[in-house]
Amino acid sequence: MSYLIALMIVFIGFLWQVSIDGIQRKVTAKVHRRVGPPWYQTFMDIFKALSKSSITHGFIYDFGVMMALGGTIATFMFLPFGNIVAFNGLDNFFVVVYLLAIGSLGMAMSASGSGNAWAGIGIMRALTQMVAYEVPFMIVVFGMIHVYGTSSLSELAHVQQMNGILGWHIFTMPLGAIVAFISLLGMLNKVPFDTPIAPTEIASGPMVEYGGKHFGMLMLQHEFATLVEVGLFVNLFLGGGNLIEYLIKYFFVYTLVTLIYAVSARFRIENVVTFFYGVPIVLSLVQAAIVIFTGLGVNV
Amino acid sequence: MALNSLLITGLLLSVLTFFLTKINKKLGSYFTIFSTLFVLVFLFGYMNDVGTVFNLWSFGGFSLQLVSSNYGWFFSIIMVLTYFLVSFFNPYWVEKMVNPASYNMLYVFSVVSTLGVFFAKDFLTLFIFWEMVVWSSLFIIPLGKSRKASVVYYAISTIGSFSMFFAIMYLYSLFQTFDIKSISQNLISSPNTAVMAYFVIIIAGLAKLGIFPFHTWLPIAHGNAPHTFSPVLSGGLVKMGAFIALLVSAIIPTSQIFSNHIHIIGVPYENYIIMVLGAISIIVGTLMAIKQEDAKRLIAYSTVANGGYILIGISLLDQVGFAGGMMHIFNHAMASAAMFLTIGAVAYRTGTTNMSELGGMIKKMPVTFAAYLIAIISIAGIPPTSGFASKWLIFQGLASEGLMFIAFATFFGSIGSFMYVFRPLATVFLGQLSPKHNDVKEVPFMMQIPMLVMSLLTIYFGVFPSQMLGFISKIQASLNIVPISVEGSKIYSFSGMWDSLVITAVFVIGFIIAALIFYTHKKAQPVDQMNTYTAGEFIYDPESYHYAKNYYAPFERLYKNHPSVEKFYDAIALRVNEFGRLVRSWFFSSNASVGVFWISVIITIAFFWGDKI
Repeated sequence: MSYLIALMIVFIGFLWQVSIDGIQRKVTAKVHRRVGPPWYQTFMDIFKALSKSSITHGFIYDFGVMMALGGTIATFMFLPFGNIVAFNGLDNFFVVVYLLAIGSLGMAMSASGSGNAWAGIGIMRALTQMVAYEVPFMIVVFGMIHVYGTSSLSELAHVQQMNGILGWHIFTMPLGAIVAFISLLGMLNKVPFDTPIAPTEIASGPMVEYGGKHFGMLMLQHEFATLVEVGLFVNLFLGGGNLIEYLIKYFFVYTLVTLIYAVSARFRIENVVTFFYGVPIVLSLVQAAIVIFTGLGVNV
Repeated sequence: MALNSLLITGLLLSVLTFFLTKINKKLGSYFTIFSTLFVLVFLFGYMNDVGTVFNLWSFGGFSLQLVSSNYGWFFSIIMVLTYFLVSFFNPYWVEKMVNPASYNMLYVFSVVSTLGVFFAKDFLTLFIFWEMVVWSSLFIIPLGKSRKASVVYYAISTIGSFSMFFAIMYLYSLFQTFDIKSISQNLISSPNTAVMAYFVIIIAGLAKLGIFPFHTWLPIAHGNAPHTFSPVLSGGLVKMGAFIALLVSAIIPTSQIFSNHIHIIGVPYENYIIMVLGAISIIVGTLMAIKQEDAKRLIAYSTVANGGYILIGISLLDQVGFAGGMMHIFNHAMASAAMFLTIGAVAYRTGTTNMSELGGMIKKMPVTFAAYLIAIISIAGIPPTSGFASKWLIFQGLASEGLMFIAFATFFGSIGSFMYVFRPLATVFLGQLSPKHNDVKEVPFMMQIPMLVMSLLTIYFGVFPSQMLGFISKIQASLNIVPISVEGSKIYSFSGMWDSLVITAVFVIGFIIAALIFYTHKKAQPVDQMNTYTAGEFIYDPESYHYAKNYYAPFERLYKNHPSVEKFYDAIALRVNEFGRLVRSWFFSSNASVGVFWISVIITIAFFWGDKI
């Protein structure tokens, strides 16, 4: 039964995220004073890419793409989607974070397998960026897990709903929320943290060799990864909520990300690391210390 | 077979190996497989045997005794299993060895000696066998690339051995016994001696486990040891340090002895200091591993980082973190030995471990590649491999105590491990194949066996971690720690549960969905590896198109001027050297007048002091 629910979530999540992605293209266009494509443009892109012919550089090139998409879909199945939790008790923060790495590893492997040097540089940057954004984010959540005694995302979302809107962690743990939001920008590979993709410098980095169905699958992988990453933020800091609330919050967070990336320029890779290991890591440690030692901001 | 006769037989087998290798190199090497298998099989019988005492030797009022215990069994089975699997490589390397007979003898000798360490009933037995292991590995390391490596290894090892020996003798002078159990009973009533004993003995463990500031020998010794010995050094022998850490923190019950001492975030300050050292090793190991150009040195530094995880897990002494640390011993033994073996296999065919000279090996050595892939997934702690199980448990342990600074290091090391384990994957196995390696073949099936077995074990205990955690819970019960609760494939911790079977099933479903999408669409057209987008340039040379050298250059730039403990050690070595030269120039000069001078000085002193003496 839970497996069926999981498959259903995957389908709904796909429709939702891809439509949202189209809408965000409209939003970006408005910021840039353009008209922009229709909201269903991303659907068309994905289906067009999947139907076109492609090239392959060997077994690992194909296998990595499947591993990337499969791993990311599997991760999404564990994430609470609104109040729907497919596998009760298994929506564990560490499980989600590490399962998400399967997707990244698959993509990295596939891109390296192509033998393209641009892809190699892109992967190097992606892994470096991962070290930068993941650590502050995990420290903030670490404090949360310690005080609530649970690492279940749905329970962490649930404890925030008890005191109404003011109980959300974005208000009770504002420092942590800031850090997590900046980390979210890094996770989503959006400008100013789109260093690994950087079309103008390294020809889209990991994506340089892909075309046809391989590219379509990686687009899908990106959509599911976005679902997980934004979903983590909504569950951890905006109190989750029922499906409608969840989707509204999701929309707002994603639009905020879009507004930032529509007007920013790109960081260099070492600047990404020094940026995250400057203020955000200090804020995250301060936030964790406040939560662990004083209990301030913890919903009872 | 009784444990003491197993040990004696094993030592005799090592001597037999020596003579067999003298007669025929291949025969002796195959005999190492047999000898380790022999020990492994008989060791299995002691799985549930606890508290049986075996007398090894008695002299005067002393006796060397062994006692069976479940933690000793756990450590020794991991050790012997690693040795047994790696020994499948021996017959193929024996031709390239300088001194195959002594290599094979010391190989068997060192594994059998570790049994004496793990099952020791008293500190004297422990120390004797500890030194036997140190000395046997000391003589194996120079059979590899460098003789100097063993000097560094021995220098660091000596610091640990001497401090342990000092503590053992001090404790003997206080309590008139070497017996570990009665010493730990006595220490409960004298906590100040216990603090001293804890720190002085654990130095031996830290030195062996490669914890900061004693980590410097690992990259040198592992990087230069014979390719067949690096896996057992990293996968097996390093874990003896973890055993010492376990001995002084759990078997001597520090949580009980230190319970009234100052606590830092809920942990006695003594254990916290050791954890901080573990955390520093994680960060240092990770950062240094990212920098390496040589694959073996890279894995050696990853061993430093993983030693930190093991030490933190064991020092936590709690329900989940301790179990995670214990399980990580096995995971790291399998994963790092497998990594060393695959790199050894590549070196067997290509003759180099320098990553920038390799590339594209996947086409030539697919099995080796698969083994490496599974090993790094486990090292990076990604489900569904066993590495995730232990890392998850260690994180849970840290979260339940709220040790945020230690957690920072573990998170950094965990994410940083993606960076360094990916580098050999991308630069050795993937990427462009150099034309000079066009005729490379997969290694013989015998050499594939250990890699396959290690991969299978890694996945098996990743899907069914409760199989091992069940045994670890027994160890915890015998050490008076709350045992970890396991139920079927579910593992419970303070912050929720985790079901490895469901996670694996969901992962398989996700993969099936992806495969369906992939295979229902148009078949892709295979193209050559060199047929890639090059931004309008024409590149015909695979080697110059292979992105391998200075892989993480932008990241390395950030810490290129890092402080280094090696420089400090070098400075000490320089001072010692200078002092030695000074002494030599005073007393041992080739100039005859110096000799005459000292002779006349001594005669003068003797003359004036003569009547007083």
